[in-house]
Amino acid sequence: MQLEENVQAAFNGLKEHKFRSFLTMLGIIFGVASVIAMLSIGEGAKREAIKKYQQLGVNNIIIRDMDLSDKELENMRAKFSPGLSLKDAQAIRDIVPHVVDVAPQAEKKADIKYQDKSVKATLIGVTPSYSEILNYSADKGNFITQDHQNRQLKVCVIGIDIASKFFSIENPIGKSIKVDDQWLEVVGVLASKSLFTETVGELASRDLNSDIYIPLSTFHKRFEKEKLFSSELKQITIKLEGSQNITQIAEIVENLVDRHHFSNKDFSIVIPVELLKQEEKERRIYNILLGSIAAISLLVGGIGIMNIMLATVMERTREIGVRRAIGAKKHDILSQFITESLVLSIIGGIIGVIIGLSFSISISFFTEITTSVTLYSVLVAFLFSVIVGVTFGYLPARKAAQLSPIESIRHE
Amino acid sequence: MLIEIKDLRKKYIMGEMEVEALSGVNLSIAANEFVSIMGPSGSGKSTLMNILGCLDTPTGGQYLFDSIDISSRTDDELSEIRNKKIGFIFQTFNLLPKLDALQNVELPLMYSGVDKKERRELAKKALKRLGLESRMNHKPNELSGGQRQRVAIARALVTNPEIILADEPTGNLDTKTGREIMEIFRELHQEGNTIILITHEHEIAQQANRGIIIRDGLITKDELNDQKNTLLSEEVDELK
Repeated sequence: MQLEENVQAAFNGLKEHKFRSFLTMLGIIFGVASVIAMLSIGEGAKREAIKKYQQLGVNNIIIRDMDLSDKELENMRAKFSPGLSLKDAQAIRDIVPHVVDVAPQAEKKADIKYQDKSVKATLIGVTPSYSEILNYSADKGNFITQDHQNRQLKVCVIGIDIASKFFSIENPIGKSIKVDDQWLEVVGVLASKSLFTETVGELASRDLNSDIYIPLSTFHKRFEKEKLFSSELKQITIKLEGSQNITQIAEIVENLVDRHHFSNKDFSIVIPVELLKQEEKERRIYNILLGSIAAISLLVGGIGIMNIMLATVMERTREIGVRRAIGAKKHDILSQFITESLVLSIIGGIIGVIIGLSFSISISFFTEITTSVTLYSVLVAFLFSVIVGVTFGYLPARKAAQLSPIESIRHE
Repeated sequence: MLIEIKDLRKKYIMGEMEVEALSGVNLSIAANEFVSIMGPSGSGKSTLMNILGCLDTPTGGQYLFDSIDISSRTDDELSEIRNKKIGFIFQTFNLLPKLDALQNVELPLMYSGVDKKERRELAKKALKRLGLESRMNHKPNELSGGQRQRVAIARALVTNPEIILADEPTGNLDTKTGREIMEIFRELHQEGNTIILITHEHEIAQQANRGIIIRDGLITKDELNDQKNTLLSEEVDELK
C-alpha cells in the first residue's frame, strides 16, 4: 500500500504551503465548528426541556382550574359548576384506570412575615402524596406528613428562596412565620427547584423556590378563599403507572371532570409528555434549519478545497508525469490526490471540532443558553468534512489521473 | 529480439493538419545492445522514444516489446510495463524535489508493491552502486547536477529493467560530468544492460555500439560503431 507515502506527501505539501492550506481549511473549520455549535445549542435546549417536563412528571396528567374573574366565576357557579374540587380528585382516583395516586392542591397569594421582613408568595395547600408525585423533597426537616394533614396542623414547608430571605444564618426549622393572619411553624425547607422561566401550557410561570406549602386541610380550614367563588382546588396532579395510553386516559379524566362540572369548561388538562413531544417536533425543524445553514458553510469549504486542489494539480503536472513514467497507474495518482484533499479536510475537521467544542462551552459559560455537545454531533460534523474532502477532491484528482504522461512530463 | 518494430507509424492531429511523426519505422534491438538514436528536432526521435518507452501507443504498425504487443495494451498494463521493464533517464533528471535521494529511488518499487523494508534495501543498494551512499538523505536541490543524474540512474536501475531509456542524459551537464555519466552507461552495458540513448550530440552518440539516425520519421542510418567507441573510452580514461 502507498497510503503511508500518500499521507506523508500530503503532509509535506501542507507544510510547504502553510498559509494557503490554512486558508483552504478555513471553510471546513467554520463549517464543522458551526455544525457542532448549533447542534449543541439544540441539544442543550432539548435537555432543558426534558428536565423541565421531568419535574412536572412524565407519567403525570395535570388538571388546572382556569384563572377566571369574579364575574366569570359567579357565572360558572350559576351554571352549577362547583369548580375543581376534592370530589373530582376522589372520583379520578376511584374510577380512572391506571391511576397510581392523585395530588390535589389549592393555591392563593399570601403575605408572609417574619420579624421585620415581609414578602408576597404563593401559598399552596397540598397532601403528603404531592411530594412523591412531583418529586419534591425537603432539604431540611420534612415535607407535609399525613399527620399534619389529619390534624390540620398549622405547619408549613418553605421554598429555599424564602428560607434564605428570612433566615440568613438561623435554622428556620421550628420558627414561626406569619402567613396572612395565621402563625405557622416551619417544619421543612424544600430543596432547590429550577426556575420555570416559560409557561408550560396552562401552568403559569413562577418561581417554585418562593412557594410555601401547608397541609391542604389547614388551607381549607384556616385561610379565606382568594375570591368569593374560588374553586376548592387549583390543580390536581394525576400520576399514572406509565406513559402508555396517556392521551386516552387524559380523555377519560376530561370526560369525568366535564360531567362533574356540568359541561362548563372551567378547567384545562396538561399532559407534560405530549407537550414535550410537541416541543421536540418544533425544535427538530429549527435544528434542521440551523444545520442546513452550517452545511452550506461546509459546502463552500468544499469548493475551496476543490479550487486549491485544481491549482495543486496544475502546479504538479510534471511530478504527475514523472510518477506516471516510472509506473504509477491512473488510480495511483487518483488516490494520491484524494488523500491530499482528505488530509486537508480531516485536519480542518479536527480544528473545527476543537473550535466548535470551545465555542459551545463558552456559549453556555457566558450566556444563559444551555449547550450540550454529544458524541453524535461531533461524529456527524467530522463525517461531513470527510465526505466533503472526498467529494470535492475527486474532480481535481481525476483530472490529475487523466493527464497524459508525455505532455505532463514536458510541462514546465 | 527484445524489441521488434515493424512499419511503425504515428500520426498527430494538430488543428486541421495531420502530422505524421513516424512514417514506417523498422527496428530490432537485441538484449544487451547499446544503441544511440540521433536526429534533429522534429525528426520524430522523441515520438519514437515515447513509443519505445510505452508512454505512447503507435497509430500503425507493430511494436513487440519482450514479445508483448504494445499497441493493444490498456493504460494500466502500459504503466506496469514501464514500471517493471523500463528504466527512464531524462535530460532534466525529473527527480521529485520534496523527496530525498533514497525516497526518489524507492518510488518505482512503491508502485510495483514491494514492501517498505525490501524497497529500502534495494534502493540503498542501487545508490551505493552509483557511489552515492553518503548522499542518500539529501534532497535533489542539495545535490550537484551529476549527482542528481546518478540518483536518476539509480532510480531507473532499481527495478532491474529490461531496457534503460535515456533521453539526452548529458544535456544539462557540463562536459566533464557528462563524460562521467557516459562512463556509467558503458559500465552498465558491460554488466549486461540494454541501453537506448537518445541524443543530438554526435560525440555522445558515438559512444554507443550502434548508431541510428532518424530523419523525417524514417530511419536513415543504422550501423555499428565499435571502434570509435573504444577509442573514446580510452580518451575518458586518460582524462581521469
